[in-house]
Amino acid sequence: MTSTHAPPSANADAARARLAEALLRTGKEDRAAFRDVYALTSAKLFGICLRICGERQAAEDVLHDVYITIWKRAGAWEPGRASPITWLATIARNRAIDWRRAQGTRRAVALDEAPDVADSSPDAFAAMESGQDADRLHTCLALLEERQKASIRTAFFDGVTYAELADRAGVPLGTMKSWVRRGLARLKDCLGRDA
Amino acid sequence: MTPDLPPTPGSDDPDMQAAELALDLLEGEERASALRRVLADPEFARDVELWRSYFARFHDQWPAVDAPETLEPRVMASIAAPSATIAVLKPTRRSFGWSVAAVTSAIAASLALVLVLRPNPVPVRVPVVVAQAPVARPLLLASLAGTADGSPKDAIAAAFDSGTGLLRIAAAPDTAADRVAELWIIGGDGVPHSLGLLSKAPTALTLPPVDRARLGPGGTLAISVEPLGGSPTALPTGPVVATGVLAQV
Repeated sequence: MTSTHAPPSANADAARARLAEALLRTGKEDRAAFRDVYALTSAKLFGICLRICGERQAAEDVLHDVYITIWKRAGAWEPGRASPITWLATIARNRAIDWRRAQGTRRAVALDEAPDVADSSPDAFAAMESGQDADRLHTCLALLEERQKASIRTAFFDGVTYAELADRAGVPLGTMKSWVRRGLARLKDCLGRDA
Repeated sequence: MTPDLPPTPGSDDPDMQAAELALDLLEGEERASALRRVLADPEFARDVELWRSYFARFHDQWPAVDAPETLEPRVMASIAAPSATIAVLKPTRRSFGWSVAAVTSAIAASLALVLVLRPNPVPVRVPVVVAQAPVARPLLLASLAGTADGSPKDAIAAAFDSGTGLLRIAAAPDTAADRVAELWIIGGDGVPHSLGLLSKAPTALTLPPVDRARLGPGGTLAISVEPLGGSPTALPTGPVVATGVLAQV
């Protein structure tokens, strides 16, 4: 079950401010504020866990750990450094990847329960991220060869390594590394002079 | 002049290690070498952060899926319990004198530890970071001494190789048959993070990157006594029996 929300950007600004406020108060061990953080973000973070873990039970357990981590570490969130949703999503992705890599075995089969990732249409949190360079990554990705773009996106959204990318594409590891490295080099040229 | 070689995969790829690390593409020795480079090369570390900030734009696109309704009460229950035990771990009363003592005894323990650690070297493949001058792979040591209500009579030595991520603990405190010793790190965030369970014999733990990042000079290692299987929550629930501060040698 996938839900899409698309509020206008004024709502998004308000939602972002509310989330930032709730996260700050969570850092001071305010349980009600933490409940707000959960209500505002659990669908997003569950989507991340489910996408990367590929099975509901594991995704639930990982999401539980993610919120415990958020509770413990909210005090370390610095409003100036990362947007609240980036900070939260990064924790969720890292935890889900930890779980996935701890499984050891590679998953050759498609993940039944993994929800699809939108190719380009941003959701509510995209609007929350609205900065002037919000679309720069996507603009620059569009310049890459299709296989380079697809591999980079898969690495991010499925949390997989070079070895699994190569398996999935049915190409030798060295070939996959070359594709991706050349794609990343091109991305770097486009994204910034200093990356 | 460079000779015009035919393109062969791998041989003339651009160095994109910072992006590869930010995207979590690497595993095994490649990942370890990239992490060593983060420690040794601040410019590389900045590149990794920059790439992370670029890829953060992807976070716009995750699918939203409603979490099961049972999860919220489970999460709220997990955060409800154990804040009293955390206070025990925070080094408020012991202050500097204790830390210095711990560091001194850690260094004293280092000779013995070197002997313990040497006979069992981790197999190293090809050294990847060649260009940098001396690669920083600091060894951190701690000596975990018994706390007020603690049981271990002798300090327990711990050594962490930040290059390989291998943490070795020389011994574990005695526990009742239905209890187990659990090791924690309290780093910059002031919050205990579990590193794993200890056996009576020396324990060697290969830490995942998230935990490696938490172990730095000045961080506190602590051992608590927990039910079999370890703390049922994300924090220590039983008495903290030994603590020690990590110091670099």
